[in-house]
This record gives sequence, structure tokens and C-alpha cells, in this order.
Amino acid sequence: MTAQEWQIVWFTAWVAALSSLAILPVGLPAAWLLARRDWPGKSLVETLISLPLVLPPVATGLILLKLFGRRGAIGGFLHDRLDLDVVFTWRGVLLALSVMSLPLLVRSARVAFEEVDPRLEQIARTLGAGNLRVFCTITLPLASRGIVGGMILAFARALGEFGATIMVAGNIPGKTSTLSLAIYQNVQLGQDAHAFRLLGVSVALAFMAVWGSELLLRKARRKP
Amino acid sequence: MSLLLRHIRLSLGGFSLEMDAEFHGRITAVFGPSGAGKTSLLDLVAGLRRAQSAFIQLGDQVLTDTVQGVSVATRHRGIGYVPQDLALFPHLSVRENLRYGCKSGGATSPLFGFERILEILEIQPLLPRGVTELSGGEKQRVALARALLASPRLLLLDEPLSSLDLNLRRRILPYLARIRDEFHLPMLYVTHDRFETLALADEMVVLIDGRVAQTGTVQEVFSRPANLAVAGLFTVETVQPGRIVKTADDLVTVAVGSALLTAVEGNLPANTREVYVCIRAEDVILLKGGDSPSSARNHLAATVRSVTREGPFLRVEVSCGFTLTVLLTRQAGEELALETGDRVVALVKAPQIHLIPRSA
Repeated sequence: MTAQEWQIVWFTAWVAALSSLAILPVGLPAAWLLARRDWPGKSLVETLISLPLVLPPVATGLILLKLFGRRGAIGGFLHDRLDLDVVFTWRGVLLALSVMSLPLLVRSARVAFEEVDPRLEQIARTLGAGNLRVFCTITLPLASRGIVGGMILAFARALGEFGATIMVAGNIPGKTSTLSLAIYQNVQLGQDAHAFRLLGVSVALAFMAVWGSELLLRKARRKP
Repeated sequence: MSLLLRHIRLSLGGFSLEMDAEFHGRITAVFGPSGAGKTSLLDLVAGLRRAQSAFIQLGDQVLTDTVQGVSVATRHRGIGYVPQDLALFPHLSVRENLRYGCKSGGATSPLFGFERILEILEIQPLLPRGVTELSGGEKQRVALARALLASPRLLLLDEPLSSLDLNLRRRILPYLARIRDEFHLPMLYVTHDRFETLALADEMVVLIDGRVAQTGTVQEVFSRPANLAVAGLFTVETVQPGRIVKTADDLVTVAVGSALLTAVEGNLPANTREVYVCIRAEDVILLKGGDSPSSARNHLAATVRSVTREGPFLRVEVSCGFTLTVLLTRQAGEELALETGDRVVALVKAPQIHLIPRSA
């Protein structure tokens, strides 16, 4: 493995992990609101969140590119006001991975929240707990298995993301190149040995993610 | 402390709860068949459900007033709630469940001491265990203790014994009585069990199909059901207060009105003196034309007060120092040719007299 290959591996694992954490502050409240409350526009939001699952990733990437480019509605604002560029930077990779993996987290977490008996939350209120305390001490722990499962799915999805990433972040060596992008590029250039090494790392990473989650869940199950 | 419920109107699908009532008792039994709206009522009082219209006042605090737009949040109501399924937090240990409601997680709750509650409910040995490892009766006690540790001003109990078998019920009942006597905590006690009501409550409200069918003291309601629907809920016709005057060889002598009855001591706590005497109408035999020897321990000289036809039966009220209801087949009644004013002898076997401890 060359230093450049190691850089790609670390960057991919790091940004995929970061994206599965970054979607929590948006994904958990959204999942909770979808599971527990009725509000106008609920089905619209539900559809929007799930859209990246069914849309071709490249199409999602194009939408993000238009929104977050320097002349885009959001990208322009970020560039002018905060001097922050998203497109063709590592932030672009993070954005693409987050948007692509968000629906997986929301779906798992929503089911997990729905499975928490509302009676437990109500009784916690009669014991003097406010909304935040009820959420943190009752709802969240009881839904934790589903949430962790959702995060693992999101992480796995992020590891392999290709279409949206290449649209938003390009494939800039040492900057935005991820495992999938690098494997594709190496095959295109006829550098099969490079591609196979990265393939091996991909398999190892995926294996560890799934295996780790199994261990984690088993541990959580053993705890009363 | 008094609980005022005014203009309550709650519609849920095809069901509606409409009631006006006020309770001043220590323990008020909310009595009724399933689907009568008992749990909905508790949910309203606890603030877990919103009614179309309601005015709820506990002591001098208005908890809910839909007209003025008042609705005190559940967590500020100071109302403990033990739901039918207990709702113990499955991911927490017994200790953590108990601590959940303690104010600021401190070692003592302001109203009732932590240690005292653990002692009364005999929970100490359960503390380190997970709630999923507990038996039904243990879960029940933990749920009770958890509610008490939040120092409520009112305790709502939703059929706390219904999930337990008869043996366990007998064992939990005294714990509830201890809570009542030790903490002077007012309770709303949902049940459809007559014996629990008699053993614990002093006041009761009968709910049928979301409407109040009757309210009053326990004795009043049981002995004088307001209508057939209420009477139909009770399977024991005669309930009279009595006092144990003698105990010998597992048999007790109870004074009821001016009569003395012999009954089996059964599971009465030691030193019980005040009891309710319960006799099912079909367990009484009537003799006409003088007494004759029999194995029944109770031979009561009686006078027929009324005879009413009830389907294939005759309901006969006799007075024998107290009012006793007797159910006869019509055929038997015709053979005896019973009429008001007739002198008869009522026979009741000792084991068929049910005694329930009563707070004096």
C-alpha cells in the first residue's frame, strides 16, 4: 500500500464515520417527529427525506451541486457570508454522504421510536420528568438498538457512496478522493493492482463495520 | 383532600365519557365493567389526555379548565400513577426505577422517606435486580413504590391487582392498606372487584358506559345499588358491617345488627374486629314452619319483608336483625308460599359467610 492509498482509506473511513454522526442531530428529531407527532406537511417531509433512496445518486448529486455551488442558493450564501466552500472540497464529500445515508438512519430510528411504549413516557411525566428528560432517559435508550442499527447502515452506505460524491466533490486526489472513486479511477487507468488492494481494504472495512455492530448489539442485549 | 371533576366530556371514537363528580374520601374506588371509561378518567386526572371539556381541581389547585384554557403539565401535577401494565422502565434496574421520580435524585423524598417506603413494601432485596427478572407481585410493589417516591398528592391506581392470581392478590392487598394507613395519601382506585373495593375504599363511584351510575360510600352503594345496572355488577347481595365478638377454633362470632353469625376466620389479619359480612343470596336457605336441626351453623329467625319475581327466581328480603337477601327458584318459592310478614328461619353455612376487614 502506498501512502496515497492509505490516505484514501483513512479519508473514506473518517468522512463516512463523520457523516453518520453528522446526520444524528437532523435525523433523530425528524424520526421522532415522524413517529410521534402529526403535523401538516408530514408526508412531504417524509418523502423528501426518503428521496435519495430512490433517486439515482448522480441526480441527487446534481441537485446538491446546484444548491451548494458558489452560485447556488445555499452555496452562495455560505461563500459570501462565511467564506465557506462546499463543492469540490471534503465538505462536499461529507454533504453527499450525509444526504445519501440520512434516509437509512431516519427509517430505522423511526421504527425504533414507534416501538417504544408511549405509556412509559407518560408515566415518566407523572414522575416529574420534562420532555427532554423523558426523551434522553426513556425514549432514546429504549430506541438505541434501532438507532445504532440505523447508524451502521448509514455508515456502510457512506463507505460505498459513488454517484453523489463524484458530482458534488469530484475526484481530487488527496482532497476528495474516496475508496469507491479511487477504485473506479484505477480500473479506468488499467492499474488493476491498485484497484484490487483498495478492494481488499473495502471488504475489510465493511466486514469490521458489520461485525462490530453485531458485537455492539449483542452487548446491548445482554444489559438489562 | 378533595378532587373535583366538573363538566367532563371526552369522546374517543364511538365511546364517550361524560361525568360530574367530587370525591372527598381517602380511597375512592372507581368501579365498573371494562370499557366503562375508568382508565380514561385516570388519564384525564393525570393530564395524559385532553378532554373536549373538563374542569378538574385537586385541593385548591385547578389542574384543568378547558374554559379558561388552564392545563397544568403532567409533571407539575404531583399525581402518582400506577397503570394497569405498571410501565416499569425495562432498561433500568429496580433501584433506578425507584430513583426516577425522587426529586432531584436525592436519597429522601420530601413527603415519604425512601427507606420507609422500601420497608413497608419489602423492596430492599429487589434493589439490584433488573425489572424484567421480577415476579408479578414484586413488579407491582416496585411500581407502587416508584409512584410513592415522587411524593404525590394523589395516587391513581388502575386495577393494580387484576394481573395477579388470587393468592398474590391476597398478599398485595395488605400492602395497599398499609400505604393507605401510613401515608394518608388520597387514592383513586380503579377496580371491578367488589372485595378489593370493600377492603380498601371508603367512597366509590360506579361508572357504566362512560356515565356515573352511582356515587356514595362503599357500604351505601353496595347495599343500596341505585339501579339494576349497578346491582348487576355486584354478585354478592348482602353486605353488612359487623364486629367480631368472639374467636374460637378458627370460627368467629360476628355481631351484625342484632344478630350473631358464625363464620370461618379464613385469611383475616390478626386482631381484626371490624368487618364486612358478605352473603350471596343463593347461599341462603329458608325454612318455613319452625326451626329444625341442620348442619348449617346459622339459624336466623326472620320475617319476610318483600318478595320480588326476577326471571326464574324469587328475590326475597328478610329481616333477621339485619336485612338479608335470599334468592330462591320460583318453584321453591311457590312451595313455601312466601308472603310478606311470614315468619321463616334463614340458614347459612359458616363457610359461606365472607368476612372482609373494614376500617372502623
